[in-house]
Amino acid sequence: MPSDGGGSLTVIWPPAPYDSKEVRYQILLSDKNGASDPSTFKVVAEFPANTHYIRESKWPWWTRPDAPETHQVTIKNGKGVELKDGKTYHVALAVVSGDVRTFTTVVQAASEPNWINWNQINNLFLALLFGGIVFYAISVAKKREIFLRRIPGLDAVDEAIGRSTELGKPILYLTGAHDMSDPSTIAAAVILGRVAKRAAAYETDLLVPHRDPITMAVCQEITKQAYLEAGKPDLFKEDANFFITTDQFSYTAAVDGIMLRKKPAANFFMGAYFAESLLLTETGASTGAIQIAGTDSDHQLPFFVTTCDYTLIGEELYAASAYLSREPIQVGTLRGQDIGKALILGVLTVGTLLATAGAVLDAQWPQLFLDVFKDVK
Amino acid sequence: MIFLRRQMPLLITLLAGLVFAAQYYVPHPASEQLLTSVTKWLQIIGGFALILGVSSLFHVHAVKIRRKEAGWGYSFVLYASMLGTIAIGLWANGKEAVDGTITAFGWIYSYMMVPLQGTMFAILAFFIASAAYRSFRARSREAAVLLVAAVIVMMGRVPLGEYILPLSGDVSQWILNVLNASVRRAILIGVSLGTVALSFKIIFGVERSYLGGGKE
Amino acid sequence: MTFAERMLKIDRRIIFLVIGLCTLLPLLNPVGLPIKISPEVRGVYDYIESLPEGSVFLVSLDFDPASKPELQPQSVALLRHAFRKNLRVVAMTLWVTGTGLADQIITQVAREMGKESGKDYVFLGWSPGGTAVIINMGQDLYSAFPADYNGKPTKGLSVLQGITNLRDVNYAISLAAGNPGVEAWYVFGKDKYKFELGGGCTGVMAPGLYPLLRSGQINGLIGGLRGAAEYESLIGQKGKAVAGMDAQSATHLAIIVLVIICNVFYLSLRKAARQQGQSRA
Repeated sequence: MPSDGGGSLTVIWPPAPYDSKEVRYQILLSDKNGASDPSTFKVVAEFPANTHYIRESKWPWWTRPDAPETHQVTIKNGKGVELKDGKTYHVALAVVSGDVRTFTTVVQAASEPNWINWNQINNLFLALLFGGIVFYAISVAKKREIFLRRIPGLDAVDEAIGRSTELGKPILYLTGAHDMSDPSTIAAAVILGRVAKRAAAYETDLLVPHRDPITMAVCQEITKQAYLEAGKPDLFKEDANFFITTDQFSYTAAVDGIMLRKKPAANFFMGAYFAESLLLTETGASTGAIQIAGTDSDHQLPFFVTTCDYTLIGEELYAASAYLSREPIQVGTLRGQDIGKALILGVLTVGTLLATAGAVLDAQWPQLFLDVFKDVK
Repeated sequence: MIFLRRQMPLLITLLAGLVFAAQYYVPHPASEQLLTSVTKWLQIIGGFALILGVSSLFHVHAVKIRRKEAGWGYSFVLYASMLGTIAIGLWANGKEAVDGTITAFGWIYSYMMVPLQGTMFAILAFFIASAAYRSFRARSREAAVLLVAAVIVMMGRVPLGEYILPLSGDVSQWILNVLNASVRRAILIGVSLGTVALSFKIIFGVERSYLGGGKE
Repeated sequence: MTFAERMLKIDRRIIFLVIGLCTLLPLLNPVGLPIKISPEVRGVYDYIESLPEGSVFLVSLDFDPASKPELQPQSVALLRHAFRKNLRVVAMTLWVTGTGLADQIITQVAREMGKESGKDYVFLGWSPGGTAVIINMGQDLYSAFPADYNGKPTKGLSVLQGITNLRDVNYAISLAAGNPGVEAWYVFGKDKYKFELGGGCTGVMAPGLYPLLRSGQINGLIGGLRGAAEYESLIGQKGKAVAGMDAQSATHLAIIVLVIICNVFYLSLRKAARQQGQSRA
């Protein structure tokens, strides 16, 4: 069979006028050298003659071996059949109608593994297209300013920092459960830079407990840099960023303890979170702190939305970090993602219309467009 | 030194990223074999990561004890419990039960770890109630819609709710299957595009924050 | 402070007490209301029912003790069903902290159903790597797990006869409390190795898995304690989940009543403030 790892043979034959549920097809296979009498072959498949068409299988139009009305059966390894790559097999078809059994000519075939899965070429094309769009957008962002609308949550960030300063209480900032390979943790680290800069300017204490040692090291550098840019390097504390533990609930218990003892006036929950989200935010709410969250963990969003004063949802977190840093890479990536989303919206709209037209008119031509966006293995 | 710390990891990331992105499109058994070998390596490295995590925890608390920082007594408790559990675990060969009899390691697991973890998770039930009482107020039209949907789904997901209001079951199913699924899909598409974009940037060395350290 | 204002600022501990009582009392005095079966849970049940005897059923208990109340009843009900259908059960876990719990569950249910380890079922235990384990199992099960949890070599176990990798699994279910979980099993398992996949999860995670269910990537979903209760009702063996539904019913009702009360007071305060504003103007 094309586009697979070997170990299979695909049998194709044209439809016949006698195809009906009373007539049966049998696929016959032999691995003996020189076998020519199909009546001695093994029956590996048997089914009614009005079934097993190409149109029932998931072939995209660019790999479809024949017309949709053609019959097709794939013989695979397993269930009493063993196909070795490179070995020649003899295949025949039998038509059974009542007591009459008619054989076709015997053909020879050998299965071979393929190097490219052509069924997924659309997937590769779309992935490369999206990657190209992102890199193009980054190159544009490096040359000129790209407009980003202001994220309303950022005003809340400034307000929270101001409140902490007024009350003389520290700011608590969490970077989430994932490590630095996660986009949400990267976004959280960027926003920490902004928060640290403001905290340095207002001389407010900053507490950043971590769940991952590498994230802690990165955030330490970011905080140090922020204090330097604010002109207050002497106020920077090494232990503002500290590692607690990687265990979910142990970390939560420790942070809850910090909230209840130190009573920070502002809590920031940026990054990825799991079940600990409500435990953290509800404890923070009980201390009267202003709370701002930003996460792409959609299963925790309801908890953040109900318990925090402001929540950055999903990509607003990435957008906020891009808006704050103004780094061409971040801004360009965001623009690239927006273009990708616009393309998906367009495809959804056009695809829905075409699929509807195809169903109403009983036409096959909409599949030319729809197959490009189908996932076929 | 710069080559080892910066250039080499980027080169490895580029090569590995391209090879394994291509692997997805190559069905040949050689490609599958390559994937198997690498995943075995990943499993070995995963084992080392456990050791790294434990040693970093030890180091952090050792510093706390040495400097007698606030709460250093708890660091001592952590040391004692960690070493004790490791010793007992090794003695019991990592088994929680042998021929139906619970081992000391199994005792620690069943009577300390399970209740402690369960307690932390159980607090959520109480916190949900207090958060709901504080936040589910019809402050605006959107908040009112959220409130009504929440009440319908809460009723529809329990037998008592369906008994009192039989329609709540079907309506909550519709809310979950149609409204919720479509919105989750939208968020999922956005987040997935973000992940793909980040993957491209990491493979091609545009994004380097995962390497740690400051800007160059 | 008016009564309404005092009620809106009520001490959280009173709410905690109400929830505590609503959880405890129904557990002591169960009522046993009928449970309606949802299509997503039925999807899992019907598929297992359709499997012939001797089919390979893989169950991955991807949760830790924190999620035990919701996922243990699901595991027990599924295992009972699988053993009753005489399926070959291959159990494992991707969460190291859940290994002991998974072993307890499978041993307990197997003993109850008179099944023998190595012959009717096998518990493979845990292997480091998360999603890498799934990929490894997809190529060669025996290299991912050379021995089972009890140290017996997996090659040669009669329950694993004829099984080389995940392609030989007839049905797999991941009972997951997080990541790695159902999504990882789909992306690194079903998508590559083409076995049928079902899911079980905590109540919080369930809404997030509906897109996978609606698109057919998983053929069924057992969500939270409610899902476990539905499954127990389907197999005709009521257990902890059904018992817990009364407590969950009471708790949900309590939260709804509290929310309604708080909104009544909130709206009355808002009305009073508006009237005060109008009379001043």
